[in-house]
Amino acid sequence: MGPPLKCAAATKRLVTRHYLDGRYVRHYGKTAWVTSGAPVELLKALGFFVLYPENHGALCGARRAAEALCRESEAAGYSSDICSYARTDLGSLLSGRTPVGRLPRPDVLVCCTNICQTVLAWYRVLSDHFNAPLLVVDTPFLYAEAPPHAKAYVLAQIEAMVEPLERIAGRSLNQDRLKRTVKYSRDAAELWNRITEMGRRKPAPLTAFDQFIHMAPIVEMRGDSRTVDFYAAMLRELEERARLGIGAVQRERARLVWDNLPVWHQLRFLSEFFAEKGAAVVAATYTKAWGELAPLLQESQPFEAMADTYLHVLLNRGTGSKLDTIRALVKEFDADGVVFHSDRSCKPYSIGQMGQRDSVVRQDGIPALLLEADHNDPRSWSRSQNINRLEAFMEVVAR
Amino acid sequence: MVGTAKVRDNSRAAPIPGRQQTMERFREQGGRIAAVLPIHYPRALLRAHRILPVEIWGPAQAFTPLADSRLQSYICPLARNALDFLLREGARRVDMVLVPHTCDSLQGLGSLLLDQAHLDRPTLNFYLPRGAGDASVDYLAAEIRSLSAALSRISGRSPREEELIECVMLEEEADSLLSELLGARPRLPLPDHTFYRVVRSREYLPAEDFISSANGVLAGRTSLGAPERLPILLSGIVPEPMEIFDALAGFGAFAAACDLACASRRLYPGGKSGDPFRRMAESLLGAPPDFTRGSAIRDRVRYLRANADKSGARGVLFYPVKFCEPELFDLPLLRKGLDGAGLASTVIEAPLHPHLSQVLVPRDPGPPPRPGGVTPAGALPER
Ligand code: SF4
Ligand code: SF4
Repeated sequence: MGPPLKCAAATKRLVTRHYLDGRYVRHYGKTAWVTSGAPVELLKALGFFVLYPENHGALCGARRAAEALCRESEAAGYSSDICSYARTDLGSLLSGRTPVGRLPRPDVLVCCTNICQTVLAWYRVLSDHFNAPLLVVDTPFLYAEAPPHAKAYVLAQIEAMVEPLERIAGRSLNQDRLKRTVKYSRDAAELWNRITEMGRRKPAPLTAFDQFIHMAPIVEMRGDSRTVDFYAAMLRELEERARLGIGAVQRERARLVWDNLPVWHQLRFLSEFFAEKGAAVVAATYTKAWGELAPLLQESQPFEAMADTYLHVLLNRGTGSKLDTIRALVKEFDADGVVFHSDRSCKPYSIGQMGQRDSVVRQDGIPALLLEADHNDPRSWSRSQNINRLEAFMEVVAR
Repeated sequence: MVGTAKVRDNSRAAPIPGRQQTMERFREQGGRIAAVLPIHYPRALLRAHRILPVEIWGPAQAFTPLADSRLQSYICPLARNALDFLLREGARRVDMVLVPHTCDSLQGLGSLLLDQAHLDRPTLNFYLPRGAGDASVDYLAAEIRSLSAALSRISGRSPREEELIECVMLEEEADSLLSELLGARPRLPLPDHTFYRVVRSREYLPAEDFISSANGVLAGRTSLGAPERLPILLSGIVPEPMEIFDALAGFGAFAAACDLACASRRLYPGGKSGDPFRRMAESLLGAPPDFTRGSAIRDRVRYLRANADKSGARGVLFYPVKFCEPELFDLPLLRKGLDGAGLASTVIEAPLHPHLSQVLVPRDPGPPPRPGGVTPAGALPER
C-alpha cells in the first residue's frame, strides 16, 4: 500500500466531534434522526443536530461491533433477513450499547425513501420506539425520466415539512440561512466529486477504500462550512500526491471499479488484498453518488433544488441507469474490471447486478466479479470462498 | 396459471372459472389481458381500457431456473416466482405487464423487466405514494392519469369520463362486496380453502363476475358462527400454497378474519371526488393500514385488534414471505401490541412453494404461552 492519507486524522476528529456534540445537544437544541438521502439542509437551517442511523451503523460495522448488535435485535424478534444497518441500530437502541458512547434521543425522525423502502419500514419502528413524530419525504422511483408530477410531489412534501419542523425546533426558518446551508452542501458535494475524480490519475492517489472512510462528512455533515473546509484540504493533499506521483497502491498494475456499499467489516482485508495484487479500486458507484448531483443544488431556489437533487439520487434510479454509471466509470477511470458486491442486506442496490455483470462481461469484455457478502453482518462473509473467487478474478484481470 | 376450480360446497355460489378460462373468455370479447404484480393499482382504469388485470402472486413454484440467473438468492420468492413465470411463458400469454411499486423487491423487478429482461410485451410501472395528505392524493391522481396515457398506447383507446366513472362504480361495488364477504366469514359454512378461492378470484375475475359469485356465497350466510372451529386471524401477503388452510383445519382452526395483502388489505372504500382519477386515488389511499403505504405500526395493531374483536379471532397467525423485509420489520411490534391486548400470535414463514412441508413448525417460539394463548407448537387451545 502507498503512504496513508494525512487527512485521516482530521476525518477522525470531525466524526468524533460530531458524536460528542450529540451527547450534549439536549442541553441546547433539538435532534433529528434522518436517512442519508434526506433533504438535511432544511433541518440544519433550523438548527437541528442531525444524526444518521445508517452512518452510525456503518461505524459499528467498521469497528466490528455490528455482529453483537445484530444479535441483540434478532433476539428481540427482528429477522436476520432485514437490512443489517437497521439490525445494528435497533440492537444498539435495545441494548444501549454503541462505540460512540451515547446517541441523542430524536425529537423528530425524517425519512426519505430515495434510497430504499427499507428505511421507511425501519423509521416506522423508530417512531414507535421513541414515540417521536415521523416526517416522510416520499420520492417516486425513477424507472426513466422524472415525470413533472413526481417533482411537484417531492417539492410539496418538503415545503409541508417546514411548519412541523419549525414547531419542533421552536424557531422560524430563515431563508438566508437555508440558502447558505444549501450552498455549503453544494460546495462540499462539488469538492467531493473532484476528490473521487482524482481516482482517474495514474497512479490513483486514493482508492475507493479511502473514499469509504472519508465519505462520513459528506453524508452526515452536509450543509456545514467545516465540511467544505475539510474537503478543500483533502483535495489539496490529493493533488499534491498526484503531482508527486504517489499512488494509494504501490506499483499500480490494475484498476477496478466497485459497485454497492462497502463490506465494512472487511475493509482492511479487501484493501490489503487488492493492494498486494497491485490493484487499485479507483472508483465506486456508492461514493460517486454523493458528488454527482452537486450541480442541481442551486441555492437561489433552495426548495426546488432540494426536491430535484434528492429525487435523482443513484439509488432512486433504475437498473439501466446504474449500468450506465458503471460503464461510464469503467471508461473514464480506465478500469480493467468491476467488483459487484452482492449485498445480502441491501436488496435495492443489489437487484439487477447479475444482469449488469453479464452486460459488462459479455458486451464490454470487462472482467467482473459478483462478491457475496453483507455490508455490516460478518456472518454472511465466507472468507475462504471469497478469497478463492477474488484470486481467480485477479488472475483474469491481470491477464 | 391455475386451471378451472369448481366451487360448489353448500353455498349458492356459481362455479368459479379459473384464470386461464377467464382470460380466454375476456379475449374472445375483444379485450386484452394484463399480468399485474401485487399489491395496489387502479383496476377500474385498466377495465376502462378494456384490459383485464390478472394478478400474479407467485405462482408457488419449486424451481425457478430462469429467475435464479437474474436474481440473487436473498430476493423474496414472490418476486422470483413471478419473474420466472413471466420469462418462461407468462408474458407470452398476456398483452402487457404492470408492476406496482410495492417494495424494494418489486421496484427492482419492475426496473429489471424494463432494462434487462426484454419481454416482448410492454411493461409499465406504477408508483403508490407513501406520504400523507393532499399531496399524496394529488400525486396519485396524476400518476393514474399518466398510467392511462401509457395504457392508451397499448389499448388504442382513450376512455371518456363517463366510461371511467362507470368502471370506477363497478369496482367500488365489487370492493364493497369483498368487504361484506370477509366480514361475513365466521357465518359462512365453507372450508377456508373454498372461501379463499372465492375471495382470491378478485385477483382475476372481471368485477361483474366477482360480484355475482360473491353474492352467491353471501346468500349461504347463516345466523350462527362456527362454534366447533377455533377462529384465528391470518396476517401476511398471500395464503400460498393454499394448503395452509387444510393445515389450519387439521388443528381445528379456521381463518375467521384476515389481514392478507391479497385480500383485506385491499378493502378500498369508495372515493369521494367526481373526477374519476382523483376518485380512484382516494379509494386506493383509503385502504386498511398497510406497510406499503407507510401506515404507522400502531395503526396496524389497532386494525388487527379491531378485526380480531369483530370476528372473534382468538389468536393471530403471521404468515410472512421469506425475505419480505417490510413485513418482517413490523412483526416484533405488531406481536407486542397484540400481546398487550391479550391476543396471542405466532409466526410461520410462507414457503411460496407448492408444498407445505415443515412449515407448520413455528419459526420462533414467540412470547411464552399464556392461558388461552397460542402454544409454541402452534396448536390453538380454546379460550
Ligand atoms: S436497504 Fe440498502 S439503502 Fe436501505 S438502509 Fe439498508 S443498506 Fe441502506
Ligand atoms: S412478498 Fe414482500 S418483498 Fe416480496 S414482493 Fe411482496 S411485499 Fe415485496
